[in-house]
Amino acid sequence: MPILNNLMQQLVNGLALGGIYALIALGYTMVYGIIGMINFAYGEIFMFGAYAGLVLALTNYVNVYTALLGATLITMILGVVIERVAYKPIRRSSRLSALISAIGVSIFLSSFMVRVKGPNTRGFPTLFENRIFEIGNFQITIYQIVIIGVAGLMMLGLHLFVTYTKMGRAMRACAQDKDAASLMGVNIDRVISVTFAIGSGLAGTAGVLAGIYFNAVQPYMGLLAGLKAFAAAVLGGIGSIPGAMIGGIVIGLTEILGITVNLSEYKDAFAFAILILVLLFKPSGIMGRKANKKV
Amino acid sequence: MFIKKSKALVVLSLIMSALILVSGCGASKPAETAPSGGESKEPIKIGFLGAKTGDVAIYGLNTLKGLNMAIEELNKEGVLGRKVELVEEDNAGQKDQAINITNKLISQDKVVAIVGDPTTGITRVAGQIANSKNTVIMSAGSTGTNVVEIGPYVFRDTLLDTIAAPATMKYVIQDKGWKNVALITSKNNDYSVSLSKIFSDAIKSNGGNIVIEEFIQDKDTDFSGQITKIKSANPDVIVFSGYYTEGALIMKKAREVGIKAVMVGGDGLQGDDLMKIGGAAVEGSISYAGFSPEQPTPNTEKFINAFKAKYNNELPDLFAAQGYDALMIIAKAIKEANSADPVKFKDTLAKTKNYDGVSGSITFQESREPIKSPVYLLEVKDGKFALLKKVPVEVK
Repeated sequence: MPILNNLMQQLVNGLALGGIYALIALGYTMVYGIIGMINFAYGEIFMFGAYAGLVLALTNYVNVYTALLGATLITMILGVVIERVAYKPIRRSSRLSALISAIGVSIFLSSFMVRVKGPNTRGFPTLFENRIFEIGNFQITIYQIVIIGVAGLMMLGLHLFVTYTKMGRAMRACAQDKDAASLMGVNIDRVISVTFAIGSGLAGTAGVLAGIYFNAVQPYMGLLAGLKAFAAAVLGGIGSIPGAMIGGIVIGLTEILGITVNLSEYKDAFAFAILILVLLFKPSGIMGRKANKKV
Repeated sequence: MFIKKSKALVVLSLIMSALILVSGCGASKPAETAPSGGESKEPIKIGFLGAKTGDVAIYGLNTLKGLNMAIEELNKEGVLGRKVELVEEDNAGQKDQAINITNKLISQDKVVAIVGDPTTGITRVAGQIANSKNTVIMSAGSTGTNVVEIGPYVFRDTLLDTIAAPATMKYVIQDKGWKNVALITSKNNDYSVSLSKIFSDAIKSNGGNIVIEEFIQDKDTDFSGQITKIKSANPDVIVFSGYYTEGALIMKKAREVGIKAVMVGGDGLQGDDLMKIGGAAVEGSISYAGFSPEQPTPNTEKFINAFKAKYNNELPDLFAAQGYDALMIIAKAIKEANSADPVKFKDTLAKTKNYDGVSGSITFQESREPIKSPVYLLEVKDGKFALLKKVPVEVK
């Protein structure tokens, strides 16, 4: 029994961690779906969101929701600006240029943060009182509930947005065939801007959640988180929104399970080993479409 | 043509007069010192090796403050009838600069001993040079391995983990009665891995049990997996051998899930960020140190008061105290050996037993590794490090 309780407890831990990865992974997958580019700066947008949340929380003692909302808005704007400055001018050149530009943006953002806020790990102020809920024999902290809840709501909202709104339909059209969508009167530039805004907003939200949950904000926190989220997106099938959610949660759970079986030093390796395994047997990822459909 | 020639003449005459001046000074100097007698009345020179600028400047600057106090004190009476003079150089924490400076101190300034470097890495490099050139070097800060092993001229007067960690565990297990220990190691941190080994042995030899052993990595931020396992093992105390950032995050998470045990660790926990990040979660955390200005012995109190008077009411830290002790202990060896020749006084120095220093009593073992007593246990109290207890260490 204690082992089972422990396992349930660890599943909750894994879900919370996975929720954060899933939110970042959504950004990767959406942008890839629309313009076929890997935006490697997402990890840094995540980091930016965490700092934005930190600054907001420190300035006027706002509550957690205002901090979340503010950080989300700031990162949405940041995402759009990055797209306009660093990606749009080279949209017609080779994919390699866009990739290199993304790496440049990522280095710029983390160095910028080191310059402004210093390289040290910063704690997060307590935005709400911690409470522990006992369910049967295992416990869930309010932080975990908030993270799983907010991540779940965001994903649900995104799903509804993409499926039922006009802009959502335009996004799906662009993902299928950008030129054809353009001929049908879809404003491609606007769709891309909205995609970047939403993706970055999700990463920003994830940043604040991570800041609250881990209580640590650091200029290079985006690097590993971004890599894992990228792995999650590929694992789930890049371009697929439900795939990114599943991929994120799988990576989060694997990491925690690695710790549970006393192999904590390999926890990062586990996430990537699973990625390799899945790709060996299903190259398009768990929820991915057949590779020949997407160039 | 004419103008150029006259210019050349002016320059030439300037050089000539300068030369005369210089040689004049040179000639008059021995004449000045000669009447005061003795051939070796020039000062005994001690070199300072450390950073005055850069990332680790704070260690160097504080060591220097302690050294200057020692110089002032020694020069009241002199050593073997001679003055003691400090030669300071700034290595900025860089190994290549440290090599040049060590060579310069020994060959050009002819120092008999060097105090420094506060860090282990540079002490290893400088120790090689000093040892091969028969010059005593004493680090007032390094605690890593492979320092005194370099050779008979290399010393240090620091509190080693091999002394402090067992003393700390003895206090935790026997005095506090916290027998069930959760041991956490940061796997990608050499310091943490080797310190955990010492902790682990000490826990067993003091009758404690390691009920769970967990591993993290530096820069990790999610510890929920490890903390969940620790909670179910229900330990009396959490022993963490890593640094303050991870320590603070671990304790935050532990308090979040309702673990009441406090954290105990090494001097790696001593950074203000421990409290900045950890807040209330790190209250009561215990770590050891080589010095505390609280509850001083009469000897230490005298030092503290003189230090405060000299440096605008500032309290001396570990480096200042150990820097002061390093020079005083070298001076004592020079006096006892009745010689400022490092070849001779290094042996006297190595025989130092129970020297009553301001940072504690110092004894050099056969290996020249120091035994310091007491070990200062610090506790986080109201967001500050405060002295909890001075644990004496037995010298066999």
